[in-house]
Amino acid sequence: MTRVGRRIAELSILLGPVTLFLAVFFLGPLIIMMIYSWLAPGLYGGVEWQFYPHNFGRILGFADPAFEEFDPVYLSIFFRSLKIALITTFCTLLVCYPAAFQIARLPDRWKAFCLFLITLPFFTSLIVRLFIWVLILRPTGIINGLFLWTGLIGKPIELIYTDGAIIIGMVYIFIPFMFMPIYASVEKLDWSLVRASQDLGANGFNTFLRIILPLTMPGIIGGMIIVFIPALGNFIVPAVLGGAKVLMMGNLIEQQFLYARNWPFGAALAMLVMTAVLVLLWFYVRYEMRRGGDAAVTR
Amino acid sequence: MPESIVRLEGARKAFPLPEGGVVTALGGIDLEVEKNEFLTLLGPSGCGKTTLLHAISGFVELDSGRIHVDGQDVTDWPPHKRPVNTVFQNYALFPHMSVAENVGYALSIAGTGRQERTKRVDSALAMVGLKGLGNRLPRQLSGGQQQRVALARAIIARPKLLLLDEPLSALDKNLRAAMRIELKNLQHELGISFVFVTHDQEEALTMSNRVAVLNGGVVQQIDTSDKIYNKPVNTFVASFIGASNLFEGRLEHSAAGAKVVTAEGDAIHCAATRKTEPVTALIRPEQFSLATANPAREASLDVEIDQVVFVGSVFELYCHSASGRKIIATVPASEAAAVNTASQKKKARLGYDPAAVHLITTKDAEP
Amino acid sequence: MRLARKIGNAALAFYTVLFFVFIYLPLALIVVYSFNADPINMMNWSGFTVEWYLKILGFRTTISETALYLESTPQLIQAVKNSLTIAATTTVIATVIGTSTALAMYRFNFLGKQFYRVLLFAPMLMPDIVLGIALLIFFVGGGIQLGLKTIIIGQCTFLISYVFIVVSARLAGMDRTLENASADLGANEWTTFLRVVLPQLTPGILGGALLAFIISMDDLVITYFVAGAETQTLPIFIFGMLRRGIKPEINAIAVMMLVFSFVIASLGLYLRSRRR
Repeated sequence: MTRVGRRIAELSILLGPVTLFLAVFFLGPLIIMMIYSWLAPGLYGGVEWQFYPHNFGRILGFADPAFEEFDPVYLSIFFRSLKIALITTFCTLLVCYPAAFQIARLPDRWKAFCLFLITLPFFTSLIVRLFIWVLILRPTGIINGLFLWTGLIGKPIELIYTDGAIIIGMVYIFIPFMFMPIYASVEKLDWSLVRASQDLGANGFNTFLRIILPLTMPGIIGGMIIVFIPALGNFIVPAVLGGAKVLMMGNLIEQQFLYARNWPFGAALAMLVMTAVLVLLWFYVRYEMRRGGDAAVTR
Repeated sequence: MPESIVRLEGARKAFPLPEGGVVTALGGIDLEVEKNEFLTLLGPSGCGKTTLLHAISGFVELDSGRIHVDGQDVTDWPPHKRPVNTVFQNYALFPHMSVAENVGYALSIAGTGRQERTKRVDSALAMVGLKGLGNRLPRQLSGGQQQRVALARAIIARPKLLLLDEPLSALDKNLRAAMRIELKNLQHELGISFVFVTHDQEEALTMSNRVAVLNGGVVQQIDTSDKIYNKPVNTFVASFIGASNLFEGRLEHSAAGAKVVTAEGDAIHCAATRKTEPVTALIRPEQFSLATANPAREASLDVEIDQVVFVGSVFELYCHSASGRKIIATVPASEAAAVNTASQKKKARLGYDPAAVHLITTKDAEP
Repeated sequence: MRLARKIGNAALAFYTVLFFVFIYLPLALIVVYSFNADPINMMNWSGFTVEWYLKILGFRTTISETALYLESTPQLIQAVKNSLTIAATTTVIATVIGTSTALAMYRFNFLGKQFYRVLLFAPMLMPDIVLGIALLIFFVGGGIQLGLKTIIIGQCTFLISYVFIVVSARLAGMDRTLENASADLGANEWTTFLRVVLPQLTPGILGGALLAFIISMDDLVITYFVAGAETQTLPIFIFGMLRRGIKPEINAIAVMMLVFSFVIASLGLYLRSRRR
């Protein structure tokens, strides 16, 4: 076999499995889902193969009343999901940034140990980590228990099954995701720039605002993306900590598939989430491309 | 005291070593930087010159001692409050800001209005020869240009003192030579003192009003370039600056003058002196010559030639004396004929003027 | 002035300690609570007991409600078995495919390489619920019975990406000149691969495999949608129990899972640091 021929054969062998697998089990299902979102729901579950834009109409408002009713609740759930995801993202950022900043400046041994401690919970089961918060936040949980015991309140307050509970749960879970990119960014920071800023008269606050923050921005943005996307489409955390009361897009979609059996509608809802994610990613890619090289100009 | 812009008293700093113990970076330094002077801190790596610079700018806290800038005690002041600016060794230009934003940074922090700021930025850029490049990003500039941006950025706030931490060491030779002149001119133009750190002695000697030679955290000598070169106070300074031939021995006095006699028997004639203690005589290589214009006035040393190296404008003669002591002599290219003869014969008689021989008192000899 | 800076540093350090407390205190609480005899109120310590653990493990106790809870034990055991089987299988598949993909990207430059990069990152960037239902539609629409097989396939879609990233990172850190040296000394490509590349790559492959295993054991969303009615994995089992009502045994299960994860993760990280 010729040299080129061998290389092609080798490449095919190495790349073949993943190509096949992802094409069939990843791209395929996604395309089918997209198609489903435009189909009509069958009477007893299943689908009817006809062009049916009314799923989207039901969500977005241009429905033909003969087929579907526009129900603004879907949009409100979508926006509520956006809101919760945004708040979660910002809270996680605020929680992680100072710690990442501090740890990145420690001597090497401490750094490695701290990183180990932070990534360790990531490897434990998500459901276990959520379960903990159920125990902590419920009326017979430790927070209410403390408040009752100290006499601050007369009867248990509702902590679980609120938006707040969901946000706490998600922040807790997403900490390792936000921490890593920020940490990487702070580690790469050229501290001579900080000294230069101080030398030129900027105090700590100004130096942070004008030098450190802009230069760690890539890490911040990266972390925000990594947290926002799973937060938006999340259904486990709302299911466990939100109970039946708080619905996010994830729960809605789950309902459609496993209870209401209206798959095309569920697919349409999923498409809404997908679109939001893709838009976000598109902006992110543009931001990354515009950034170019930001390493400190040194020799 | 009113004459000096910076005064250090008893500055001490020690750094702990990871394996225990400390290394003394500054061992009780007293130093005054005069107004409108170009002072160079010179010394080998680890001598403390960079630590000293950082102590003045505020990035190193002294263990003991005080620092005064323009009459004020700034020892406890953080860097951003001190009226001192630094040109960093790696330039440290902010990559996310344009050249103009970099240069105007100090003014922006101080709250200077935009119009005034723009005016001064333009003027600073023009002063360093970078007119019109305000909108570029640092990474789009060459090394030499980046260095000028760092310079402009540091002078715009009209500091009382400018510190330069080996700013020329990454530039190629020609650029360095050009920049040296420019820095010197800049210092004149601005009228503020520059404290310049380098390990390149040529740079130190050519640029400075005064040079402070440091070793082991202690100032060995602080003097004009001329005196540092011709009248070093100890053997460290003598051998750190330029090549040197050192002869340590005892003084013998006679009617004709004095001479230093080494243990191996080399005799170096010098000017009459009242000293009696053991000394080290210093003869710079260029003080030797092969052509004897006036044999009566000059003294001479007989040597055997090991190697002759032609370096363009001079010949370097590597030889040894009768006692085996190594000697370096440099003679101008005009003495080529004599060099030829000498190298053929493998012998030479090196002439020198005893009056120009500098004596270092041995008690100062150890730094 | 120095004082301000010192206070600032101290505040940051204190905050970081709080940070770690926030992460680990809940974990500590749950361990402590699992030994609490009071099954309802966390604050009420009614005595130290290991009965919850015993119940899980199948020992009868004298408490009368025992009979109800023990039903769940065979289900629990089956769920654990399923989880392990699935994790083992997916680990093998994902590691093989992920590693070969990483090798392909490392060795070759070809048209569409960027596309592949995007494709490999996509499963991880996508919200898993979207992928979950897409797979559900795909399997059901294609007439494929939901069960262990579909779970395995579903998990592999993103596990391959994880392994790919870990192995790629390892490859990127490798010294390419070593391969040149090997060739210079007479080894052909295959031999060079076996004797120079592979030994260096092994820690990365093991790391990727370990990561895949852990993530597979832990996966909930994708598995939830493609598992079908009859198959349960451990996370699904617990999720179900959570929805039906908290029972103290969940606490014991949770702690056991925590310990298990900690041991595996520590092992993995320890191996990683040693091999370097």
